[in-house]
Amino acid sequence: MHMRRGYVKPWVFGIIAGAMIVLAEAFAGFYPPAAYSFCLTCHTRDLVNTFVNGMFGTHFQTTILSRKMLMLTSPSVLLGAFIAARAYAEYRRQKSTRPLYFFLYGAVIMTLGILIFGCPTRIVIRTGYGDLFGIVALTGMGFGIWLATLLIRRRWSRSV
Amino acid sequence: MEQECVNMTVYATLILVSMSMLIGFLAQRSRMCFVAGVRDYILVRDRELLMGMFSFLLTIWLLTSLFYGLNLLRSGVPEYGSPAIATSIEKIGTGSLSMVNLNTIFSRGTAGSMGLLLTSRFFYVTLIGGLVIGFVSTLAGGCVLRQHVLLAQGSMDSLFFILGFYGAVVVYYGFLYRFFISLY
Repeated sequence: MHMRRGYVKPWVFGIIAGAMIVLAEAFAGFYPPAAYSFCLTCHTRDLVNTFVNGMFGTHFQTTILSRKMLMLTSPSVLLGAFIAARAYAEYRRQKSTRPLYFFLYGAVIMTLGILIFGCPTRIVIRTGYGDLFGIVALTGMGFGIWLATLLIRRRWSRSV
Repeated sequence: MEQECVNMTVYATLILVSMSMLIGFLAQRSRMCFVAGVRDYILVRDRELLMGMFSFLLTIWLLTSLFYGLNLLRSGVPEYGSPAIATSIEKIGTGSLSMVNLNTIFSRGTAGSMGLLLTSRFFYVTLIGGLVIGFVSTLAGGCVLRQHVLLAQGSMDSLFFILGFYGAVVVYYGFLYRFFISLY
């Protein structure tokens, strides 16, 4: 297989990221709620709601942890990935093909993510913590991916 | 006292920012995605990203099992951090709602709690919500983490994804909150 310069194997990512996430909760006090040291959906929700509450005096839901600190997870992930893309010359601007579709995809995933408390990453994290509903959500996610692959296969066979 | 509190906030935020930046950096280098692993395995039998997900899961499971044993993590605490939700799904019973080690799930007699689980609406909300998240993520070409990485690499599709992602928070809490709370 063709290897890129500075390529990190996904299983290495899994070990480093997983260890950091658990250590952050155990030693840096990212609690409560439990299993909350990394989640893009929930942390973005807390960040946006903190700002909206501050600006308009509303009482949108935030977690207890987000009153202790600023949940800058999503911007930080963007920044870290941007540094990596620049450092290894992989930044390429690609025009949007279907902006409305992607806008709706993002909105749907955020809405359902708030509803079931997690982005795909946190669903896996919760499963690792032993949360029954994490396992349920992960099972559902597996079925959803399987259904989508059926759709992708049909598109392939049509285009061939 | 006040100063100490501010310092705590700054330190915690700095830890979160540096951790997230490192995760973003490594995710870009490894093309990690929690949806594409299963998708690639089904479509082309490529195991590489799936192994990433399994090692992530396994690391967290082993470390949390260790830390539960050492009392560094509190097991048996309400997980979702929102009182409104804790009360609306109270009938499931606190046992199955709380964070427990997988060992304790399997060693405990689960027949009773399984019946309660299957009659709770939150079970179906979670199952169907997870299903739709998996479906839509696959159509969008990656999970939320991957979309962040793609935006950082310059994909404008992902820019619109993230705009919808942030915008939906305000719409959800401004207009849809009562409807979605009634689903629990």
